[in-house]
Amino acid sequence: MQIAVSGGKGGTGKSTVAVNLAIALREYFDLALADLDVEAPNDHILLRVELQNEEPVHMFMPRFDYSKCTKCRKCAEVCEENAIITMKDGTPFLMPTLCSGCRACEIVCPVTGAILEGEKLMGHTYLTETPYGFPLVTGKLLEGEERAMPVVTAAKRRAKTLNKELLLVDTAAGTSNTVSKALEDSKLLIAVTEPTPLGLHDLTLILELAKLMGIEAWVVVNRADIGEKQRVKEIVERYNAEIVGEIPYSEAIIRSYVKGEPIVLTDSKEAGIFRNRAKKIANYLG
Amino acid sequence: MQVAIASGKGGVGKSSVAASLIYLLKDEYSLIAVDADADAPNLDLLFGVESWEEEKELIGAKVAKINTGTCVRCGICAERCPYDCIKIVDGNYVVNELTCEGCGVCRLVCPVEGVITLEEVRSGIIRKTTTKYGFPLISAQLDVGRPNSGKLVTEEKEWAKKIMKEENLEHMIIDSAAGIGCQVIASLGGADVAILVAEPTPASLSDVKRVYKVVQHFREPAYLIINKADLNPGFKGLYEFAEAENIPIIGEIPYDKAIPKSMVMLKPVVETFPDSKASIALKEIAEVIKGEILR
Repeated sequence: MQIAVSGGKGGTGKSTVAVNLAIALREYFDLALADLDVEAPNDHILLRVELQNEEPVHMFMPRFDYSKCTKCRKCAEVCEENAIITMKDGTPFLMPTLCSGCRACEIVCPVTGAILEGEKLMGHTYLTETPYGFPLVTGKLLEGEERAMPVVTAAKRRAKTLNKELLLVDTAAGTSNTVSKALEDSKLLIAVTEPTPLGLHDLTLILELAKLMGIEAWVVVNRADIGEKQRVKEIVERYNAEIVGEIPYSEAIIRSYVKGEPIVLTDSKEAGIFRNRAKKIANYLG
Repeated sequence: MQVAIASGKGGVGKSSVAASLIYLLKDEYSLIAVDADADAPNLDLLFGVESWEEEKELIGAKVAKINTGTCVRCGICAERCPYDCIKIVDGNYVVNELTCEGCGVCRLVCPVEGVITLEEVRSGIIRKTTTKYGFPLISAQLDVGRPNSGKLVTEEKEWAKKIMKEENLEHMIIDSAAGIGCQVIASLGGADVAILVAEPTPASLSDVKRVYKVVQHFREPAYLIINKADLNPGFKGLYEFAEAENIPIIGEIPYDKAIPKSMVMLKPVVETFPDSKASIALKEIAEVIKGEILR
């Protein structure tokens, strides 16, 4: 079973909610947390753990054996990314930054051995034990690489092989297909938003994505006292979603955030909010 | 000159800072603003934009479709999809359109001709308007579930360059997306200067270091603005990073509720609350930018 925390806008508190829910949910499930915000992964920082068990994420890249290549140009024609250019005589060259590693060129090449197995490092995945009794899987895109999808896919595969009763996924900001990849197979989406016009605009997008994917959506309003709560309600109703929690602007949460001590472990009233939400989720998932 | 504003981490105040700086620079310089966060474009909201003068649809993303009528259900496509996008739904192999990268491998490996096709879909929209402050704004919006591509941002910048030429504008200010992926790379590529925005938290420090590595790829000079600077007294990480990398810190903006308040009013904070703590800091930063960056 899988659930996801997302939100559209960056910095609304996705990771804070994901980490605290994970800790609160361990009471009900044997679980794993997957940080699929591969461009800016932060769950390990909030949990104050060093990433462990690094595994590289390699992507296929074609290497041409020019002694075998017949210069038929089929590889260049089939490449949807236009990553292969050909010289006048048909000799192919690869532009590595454009290559998506899909192997279409290798599949279409009529000569065995003309396209050889090359690879490019795209990033890493990590499997880290946390002091809270659940493992954290993290994907981390290499700086300078454009494509997040291979790293998201690899990290998600790694998380799934743990075969936990519950996988809690923390996604990147936005609503591109890497976010849908992270959300895929979720039974429930917890969308974290803030009631500003910016937060609301991006909340609409993530609820639209959840609707397209047929995922039940619950909304957590963070910093609930700074803006337009009525507008949040309107949007949530339009998408048949549900507001399941409001977290006030809280010095205690900020302090716990900067210290890397999850708020849910304290006696504060904010901790109670997360514990209650975890109970509600556990009831929903049954 | 092309100035790109980036942060790595989302929600540290990149767009709020960008909007205020653009507001403070608009009278002395002729400029164009580019919102390069196509996943979650917000600059138009911060300038109270109500309508667009011109829109261009971006067609070009492709997604695979399987004809279930002729599909022989061999499962080879699902096995070979590099991104696990093909699943069995009610006994049929179906491509998840919202995760498909459009590479076409499924079509190539399918043993039956014509079962799998690649169809062009809209990936998003690029829009242009003239703000009520007089300068033009270009913004892009990626459609939900589409491959995130630097192409949208590259198109935006091309359009902005054209307008700069036609209207003889001096500067392009780019508000880039969160993260370090294709959109950010397209924003930073070709920029003359990168302005990084960070908040004093370990998460923001980690992410700004990552985006700085991308800046280094392009060998661009970088400057750092510390937002919500008083959020975490005693946190020295950003100062240590700036010193180690020799990045000038051009200002520190205190946490100020005037910023979210102005956001709700759909205006930059320097316009709505010019005497607030944050606005005073932003004005000092604008002076540094005028003196040192846009000379």
